[in-house]
Amino acid sequence: MIRNPAKSTTEGAPADVNRRRLLSSLSGVGLFGSAIIAVLSNLIFIKPRATYGQPNRFAIGKPEDFPAGARISLDTRRVCVVREGDKVAAISTTCTHLGCIVSVAETGFACPCHGSHYDQDGYVTSGPAPRALSWYQVTLAPNGDLVVDKDNEVEAGTYLKV
Amino acid sequence: MSTQTVIRSQKGWLALPENIWRSVFRNPLPSSDYGRSSTSFTNFFLHIHPVKVHRHSLKATYTWGLGLMASFLFLILVVTGILLMFYYVPSTTQAYDRMLDLRGTVAFGIFLRNMHRWAAHGMVAVVFLHMCRVFLTGAYKPPREFNWVIGVLLFLVTLFLSFTGYLLPWDQLAFWAITVGTSIAGYAPFIGKDIRFLLLGDSTVGQEALLRFYVLHVAVLPVVLTLLVTIHFWRVRKDGGLAKPEEEEAGAESAFGAQSGPVAVAAPMTMAVAAGAAGSASTTALPKRSFGIQGLVRGPLVKVGSLEDRTLFSWPNLFQAELLVFVISVAAILVVSLFFNAPLEEPVNVMHPPNPAKAPWYFLGLQEQVSYSAFWGGVGVPTIEVLLLLLVPYIDRKQAGIGQWFARERLLANTLFMTFAVINVVLVVIGTFFRGANWEFVSPW
Repeated sequence: MIRNPAKSTTEGAPADVNRRRLLSSLSGVGLFGSAIIAVLSNLIFIKPRATYGQPNRFAIGKPEDFPAGARISLDTRRVCVVREGDKVAAISTTCTHLGCIVSVAETGFACPCHGSHYDQDGYVTSGPAPRALSWYQVTLAPNGDLVVDKDNEVEAGTYLKV
Repeated sequence: MSTQTVIRSQKGWLALPENIWRSVFRNPLPSSDYGRSSTSFTNFFLHIHPVKVHRHSLKATYTWGLGLMASFLFLILVVTGILLMFYYVPSTTQAYDRMLDLRGTVAFGIFLRNMHRWAAHGMVAVVFLHMCRVFLTGAYKPPREFNWVIGVLLFLVTLFLSFTGYLLPWDQLAFWAITVGTSIAGYAPFIGKDIRFLLLGDSTVGQEALLRFYVLHVAVLPVVLTLLVTIHFWRVRKDGGLAKPEEEEAGAESAFGAQSGPVAVAAPMTMAVAAGAAGSASTTALPKRSFGIQGLVRGPLVKVGSLEDRTLFSWPNLFQAELLVFVISVAAILVVSLFFNAPLEEPVNVMHPPNPAKAPWYFLGLQEQVSYSAFWGGVGVPTIEVLLLLLVPYIDRKQAGIGQWFARERLLANTLFMTFAVINVVLVVIGTFFRGANWEFVSPW
């Protein structure tokens, strides 16, 4: 019961036309869909699963390394460790404007790139910076090291008692 | 043609060099109109041009050769770029040393780097000027709307190419310019952070970013640019050459359809078609009739002999002009590279941004805007500007004042465009000369 293909094209029965239309639209969807999947998989491919740079969670030393009243900027880690009495916190030193490193100034923080100024708690006092500097979670590891986790932002003014 | 026949009939070893030469260059140096047509028609590199061009398109004061200049600068960039790749290593520990090597040990290294740097700066400037030229002469009007769109994309790709190349020396200038630049990308709503992460391959500028920018700079973007340039050129041909005033257009049509290659209108054209169609070997007699492709070309009907022929043969008129532009472009880059060295600052120190940390000059307008508002200056306004640019030919569809500078009918459009252009240039100037430490206003004097 194999139909003659030549016959079907010349006769052009409505059923054939419908089937042809369905098949061509299905192949259209298939091709277009494959193209989209190809693009998406490329996007997934170029998004790194592992990064090779600085880890976002790192130890910064014992609490004793930071005397009371210290504001020590760890430039390679891009955090400023603040100790007030027996409380420790870590404030980001990455300018919220365009990612330059802010320096510790008397009034708080100052960015050399576009002149943003922040107060001691990282709130913007002047300049183009759109929001306050982030505060990161500080925890005490079992071995007594302070650990900063840059993936965990905490509210400004959150200190760890040591 | 007759020469060809004579040469081919020569026998013996004495004729060998001549035979080889003739097989490579199908045409002897042309001395007749037929020869001039045939030369441009049968040469791979020349046939990108029509056999004849309109006088209007050849006027230096109409185009200033800017588009061509941009493509020649790109050619210089490709050549010097490939040469530099032989010595460059995209590694944070080696890149800077390789820059020093270019300066100290590699023969012509510093000169090649200078050429590459200055040609890149020049290309950004020339592409911008070319865009201004096309706007101010109303050359984006139908049927050339989409070619304008491709042109805008080319401008963006040029900027992105320049930007990706900026990181590669891995000096302070590079590192902080890219830190600032990618942070601007991070301000885009919803996808900004992801774009930044994809671009850098990490949360900060580092080895991954260097590698990614390198691959974009030497492989991905040049291919994209080449493809777009090809389409850009091809469309110039298919849209009937450069835009010209209507009264000129009529003259051009009468001569050879819409410039889309030789057509059977004027006598030399007919012969060119014959040579092309019948192959070079057996063109003994002129065909009684030939078919051009004017039937496929848009535009008014061919009016043979009813109007003055305002066209000239591409060989030598157009090719001479192009050679002149080429020589000027290369000479300018060579001279600038002799006298000015491409900047190279201290090696990257991620702890100490220079103050002020400035992007390359063509992004300083953007950085200036960003110092007022990061979102609006860095993302909002530029996006609106690019969208407006892309839509220009679809907003302004009035067929008037095409192909002439500062046409009266286009006063409003030209004024608006110039206002935008001047504002952007002024912002660049402010950012470059009037901004000092902490991005505070300083006087350059």
